[in-house]
Parts: sequence; C-alpha cells; structure tokens
Amino acid sequence: MATRGPKKTPGRAEREFLSESEEILERMRDDLGACLERASAGAELAPDVLNRLFRSAHSLKGLSGMFGLESLAELAHRIEDLLDAWRLGRAQPTPERLALFEESVELFGHALEQLAGGGLDAGFGDTVAALIARIAAENAPSTAPQSAESGAIDAPPALLRALTEYEEHRLRENLARGRSIHVVTAVLQLASFEDRLSEISTALREVGELLSTLPSPGDGGPGEIRFALLVASELDAASLAARLELSPAAIHTARAGRRDPGANSASSAELPRTEAEPAAAADAREGAPETETATLRSVSDTVRVDVRKLDELMNLVGELALERGALSEFARRLGAEPGLARLGAELDKIHKALDRKLQDLQASVIEVRMVPLRQVFDKLSRVARRLRLDLGKQARLEIKGADTELDKLIVEELVDPLMHIVRNAFDHALETPEERRAVGKPAEGVIRLEATQRGNDVVITVADDGRGIDAQRVLAKAIERGLVPPTAQLSQREMLDLVFAPGLSTRSEVTETSGRGVGMDVVRSNVSALGGIASVDSALGVGTTLTLTLPITLAIIQALVVGVGEERYAIPLNAVREVLIPGADALQRSGTRELLALRGDALPVLRLRDEFAVRSGTPAIKPFAVILGLGDARLALLVDRLEGQRDTVIKPIQGPVRSVRGVAGATDLGDRSAVLVLDVAALVSSAPRAEAA
Amino acid sequence: MSAAASRSWDVLARAAAARSAAVETRVQRELLVFSLAGTHYALPIERVREIVRPRALTPMPHVPAEILGVLSLRGEIVQVIDTRHRFRLASVPPSRGSRVIVMSGEHGDVTGLLVDGVHEVLRVDEGELRPPTTADGGLITALAPRGEGFVSLVSPEHVVKFDAGG
Repeated sequence: MATRGPKKTPGRAEREFLSESEEILERMRDDLGACLERASAGAELAPDVLNRLFRSAHSLKGLSGMFGLESLAELAHRIEDLLDAWRLGRAQPTPERLALFEESVELFGHALEQLAGGGLDAGFGDTVAALIARIAAENAPSTAPQSAESGAIDAPPALLRALTEYEEHRLRENLARGRSIHVVTAVLQLASFEDRLSEISTALREVGELLSTLPSPGDGGPGEIRFALLVASELDAASLAARLELSPAAIHTARAGRRDPGANSASSAELPRTEAEPAAAADAREGAPETETATLRSVSDTVRVDVRKLDELMNLVGELALERGALSEFARRLGAEPGLARLGAELDKIHKALDRKLQDLQASVIEVRMVPLRQVFDKLSRVARRLRLDLGKQARLEIKGADTELDKLIVEELVDPLMHIVRNAFDHALETPEERRAVGKPAEGVIRLEATQRGNDVVITVADDGRGIDAQRVLAKAIERGLVPPTAQLSQREMLDLVFAPGLSTRSEVTETSGRGVGMDVVRSNVSALGGIASVDSALGVGTTLTLTLPITLAIIQALVVGVGEERYAIPLNAVREVLIPGADALQRSGTRELLALRGDALPVLRLRDEFAVRSGTPAIKPFAVILGLGDARLALLVDRLEGQRDTVIKPIQGPVRSVRGVAGATDLGDRSAVLVLDVAALVSSAPRAEAA
Repeated sequence: MSAAASRSWDVLARAAAARSAAVETRVQRELLVFSLAGTHYALPIERVREIVRPRALTPMPHVPAEILGVLSLRGEIVQVIDTRHRFRLASVPPSRGSRVIVMSGEHGDVTGLLVDGVHEVLRVDEGELRPPTTADGGLITALAPRGEGFVSLVSPEHVVKFDAGG
C-alpha cells in the first residue's frame, strides 16, 4: 500500500470511500457489541447477526479493494473468513477470537481516521500484517467441535437434501440445543401466497428459528401452492399450530425436543427471545471495553445518496423550470393586454426573482451530482498496471486533471469506452521496447490521460507516443470492406475518422500487432449517447490522440431554440459555437455538398428544413446559420429563425419508434407542447467533413 | 433462504403469475369503447392511462406516416399513432370528437392512440367474449357483446407495435 508523505485533505473519491466504509463499520460495531454481550452471557451468537457481520466484512473487502487499499482489503478478507467459519459452525467464536475480531474492527476504524487526516501512517501496513498473522494462527479450523448429528430426523429426504451448508449447520445447532424440529406445510392461494407466506414466516421467527423455506411438490388444488417450512422451536406442534392459527395437521414434528412435553405450555411463555435480555446483560457487565472517544465521532460529514434519488430531485427541479416557463409566458400575455401592462410588469418581476432562485437550485442539484473523474482514472491505472505485466511492454500511464468533475451518470458510462481506448493503446499503438529502440524512441512508451474543463464541456484525451495510425491503410481497408467507394477523395482527417466506422476493426491488418482490437465504433456510439463526440488524430511514427468531448451534465441543459416553418427545435447550447446570417456569397455549392465559407474554412452545411422534411411555412430568404461544433468537427445548420435561449430537461420520447436519426429527445418549454432536441453529435458526424483547402 | 430455494421461488412466482392470469378469465372485464370511421372497438381499460384531447402534435422526422408526432403530457413526451392507419382506413385530421387514448405498455412505456371518438366503459363477463371471426394478424383478440351487436376487442400490443399491420 502506498503511504502518502505530506498530509492533505482527502479528495472527493476518498470522501466517498470514507463515508461508505464508516457506515458499514458503524453497523459492524453495533453487531459486534451484541455478539460480545451474548458471549459474555454464555449465550449462542444470534445467527442473523453473524450473517450481517459476514456481509459487512464482505462489503468492506470489496470497497477497500476498489480503492486500492490492499492491506485493508486483506484485513477485511481475514475478518470475513473468521465470520464465515463461525456462521457455518466450522469454528467456535471463542473469547480469544472475539477479541481479535474486535481488534480488527478497531484497526479498521483507525485506518479510516488516518485516511480522513490525509493518508495512512507509515508502518500501518506492518500493524495490519501482524494482526493478520495472529488471526491466521488463531483461526485454524481443526479446533471446530462437531455439533450433534442431523440424522434421525423424520423429514422428507428431498427437503433435507435441499438444505445449504449454512442451513444444515443451523439444524444441527438447534438439535444440539434440544429444540424440536417441525415441518410446517402451508398450502396457499397462488393469488396471495407471497403475503401469507411472509406472515407465516414472521410468526415462526417469533417462536423459534425458521431454518429453511422450500416450495414443496404435492397435490394442492388448482390455484394453490405448497411450501414446507423447516422450523426449530421449543414449542410442540400443538402450541405452534395455535400460535400460527394453522390446523395441527399442517405441522409435522420431525424430531421432538428434549424438554418434557408437559412443560410446553410454560415454556411458550418464556421462550420468545426478547431483545431486552442481552441489553440487560450488557448493563450488568462491568468494564466493557470502551471504544476510544475519537472513534465515536464521525470522521467524515458526508451523506451517501442513491443516484436515483438525485434523478428524482433533478426531475422535480426540471418540472419547476417548466412551471416557471409557463409563468413567464403568462406575464408576457398579461403585459400585452390593454390596461393590464402594469400587472404584467409586476408579475414579470416576481418571475425574474423566482427564476434567479431556481437557477441557484438547479446549480446546487447539478453540483451534487458531480463526481471527479479520479474514480475512473484510478481504475484505468490499475488496468494499465495489469496490462504492462501481461503484455511485457514498457509503458507508463500519466494522469492529469483527475479532479475534473462530471455528472455521476456520465462518469459511469465512460468507464467502458475509456477502458477500450487505454487497452487499445497498450495492445496496438505502443511498439515493443525493441521496436522503439530501433526507431530511436525511449524503450518506455507513454500514455497520457488528461481531462480538462472547457466551458460546459469536459475534454478527455488519451494520447500515446506509439506507432500511429496509417491513414492510407485504414482507407484501403474501408474500401476493401465496401464502407467507402473506391473513388472517394478523402482528407487525412476523414481517413482517420474511418476507424470509428462500424465493421472496420483497427486490428492487426492495420496496426500489425497481435491481440484483438476493440470496436472503436462502440466507443463512438457510447460517447454520442452521452451527447458527446469522439475524434482521433494521429501521425505515423509519432503517436495517436483520441479525444472525447462530453457535456458536464445530462440533467439540465441550456438550449438554443430555433424555428423552421411552424416547428421549433432545441439545440444544446454546449454545441453551439456561434450564430450568424451568412452573406449571399458565403454559401457555395461544391458538387453535391453545400459549404459555408467562414474565416477561411469551408464548413459543411445542413439545412434543417430538408434534413427533417419540414413542409410548413416558406424557407427564410436570409436563414440563420447555427455553427455547431463538438470536438473539432463543425457543421453549419441553417434554420429560419432564432427563438432564444432556454433551460430544458431532455426527456426520452416514449412510443413504438425507439430512436430517430438526429433527435436526442424532446422537451416541454412550458407551453404544453413538445419540442424536439437535436442530437448534435449525430448531425455533425453524419455530415461530410470539410476542411480548409 | 438458500440460493437454490430462492431460484425455485422465482420459477414458482412466475408460474403463479401466469396461473392467476388464467384464473382471472372468470372475472368481469372492463373495456373502453372507441370508434373509428363509425365502427366501434374496445381496449382493456387496465392498459389505458388517460384520455386527452389531441393538442397540437409536434411532427417527428424520419418516421412512418402512422406516427403522427409527439405530445407533451405534463413534460412527459409521448408518440401518437394514427389508429386509423392500423385498420387500413384513410387518415383524417382530428375533429371535435377526436381523442388520444394514452396506453401504458408492459414495460412502463407510454403511447398515444388517436381515435375518432371515445364512448363508454363496457363491462362484460369473460365468458361472454367470442373468438374473432376474421384473422387480423392478432389485432382483434375477441368480440364483446354491446347492445344488439358486438364490438371488436383490440390487442393493446398489436395496435401499439410499430411493425404490426404494416
């Protein structure tokens, strides 16, 4: 484990790790307390508490592993083993083992405090290693005493065979304690069996331990279903039937308990385990090991929130924004009425104040959804470490801008595309050390992963200093596959862009390396689905740079509303570079393409009226050109008019047609009519590229 | 519960759902009666989410003619199908009586159906339903008695499905 030298405040990913593990640890401390109390009272540890502890340890292991805290993951792993042995009856929770367990939990707590303070202390790894060694010595499995045999049980063999190891252990344990084992058969109505079954299960848990619930074959009538519930209880069949309001015939005693059957009426009164018992035992206990005061205080002050809850919140904010839009519209209409102009102006003032607050609210909700890219970048560097070992290539991954923040949902969706790209870079782009030396490059290759924020976009680049892509060979391949007509005249950039074409793998034929290439078309479509764009640049022998341009958030976007005929469309503002009215000579035809001359560049032109086959109205004589840009691709979109800038929530379009080319979704601008939101990535990448001559 | 048991649970729960659906055939059905070009049809009411007047629809590009466009239901964006097209009737612009029946699909998705008019909710016994007289590729699932005659019970899946009926 890396120990950090200078202390620093933890970053966002660390804070998240801390709050999550702290929550788990808190629960473990509670459960451990309950176990210690029962143990000191000489009682059997509650099986459900052991199970919960086991799951908690398992979660801690996964969490620590994910954050690269290997010594902590190892510690959690040992705790998990310890608990597994106890819950399966392979080992007994002796006082020594419980003490070790307690020590481990406390050590974990200390680790979290140190992490919150800026990093693990030097030598922490040694402390963990020492404790792990002691656990290993103490937890030798041979000492587990076998509990009573499960033989001589009068239950259907099929039922007994279906028991898991854990359930079998619980059965033996209950037999050893002299409890009766009953098979309760419940014949339930199909329509309502779930509710009824959970009622019965709850009732059974009150009077004993429900060992297993299994659907059972048998001649239930039509519309009925049978279950066999294996129960351990100190009650006999008759009292159990009475408690459950079942016919005594439904309960078959597989093995009578050791208690005198005559004492059953009395035992039923004392039996139901109450939670007060262990608590009372705890009060009576002296000198219980007090947890240090430092660990009682939370080390992090964050709250974990389900991202779906944030979505709900975001939707509400979006709906508020819609209402606001309606209010604004109403104020405008009121102002236009003769004699009501003053009221209209007042309402408009109120609306503007509301609008400012609403924008603050939106910004706050968006802010909550933002997470640093570090989470993804850390995963990538782990993958890179593994690849370096597996492929025998000398390469290092350099990371910059890991604190750049993006919408949580976008970050999640970026993991796969970025993983593909980094793998490709290792696998194909970088040469072997010998090849590199032969062309005078340092033996060690470099892959630079960098994220920067530019306005409302985040730009992520993955650059390698490998062999580069041979554009001519990509073109040849594309022609061979029939993706491009043999006569096509493509620029360097257009040829390179073909690596994203479906059906053209960048594998061996192009880059002459071993291994499998990953479909770059998948990378592009994943990124487009997030409203972003993927582009590539490469120089032969020098290296390749892949650039992903992504919006910061998907939740609320600012949009430019444009009009064509009677229709309106919303264009995400992050893709709008500028808007202009082209002069008469700026629009030129070049073969089948229409181009817009703009400061020395020739941009491809797309007339939205033609693209979307809008028939209403007449085309504007002087159309507006909305210059769209994503990454370095640009497009001039011609529209009849501009209707202003609005905040919108993009909603999916529901119905039988799943996706429409050029449409990302739709939105309601507050006047109860739907406005389509343009899919700029699709429009820009479908339009032919053009460059300065 | 063990993993094996919870697996067989799933199987049983599915079987139970299928069987309880079969049991339901004995109960009463509620059907929403609508009309197209003077003929009456019906849809199972449990699939109807709401009925709205056809407001201005926003046309969608690159879609078949039977998709009339989308409308906003309190911010939710829903495609509207020309139901006449499904029944091979000539399209007509919405009139005063026209309505959009908003149907909820099996997976929670929503589609609007433009019809000439919406009439009443018809209650029939499952036993009174008759098999359809013509094969419509599954579009009509049964005939339900209504007054002196019958109305055709339309399959919500088929009327909403994009590539059914051409």
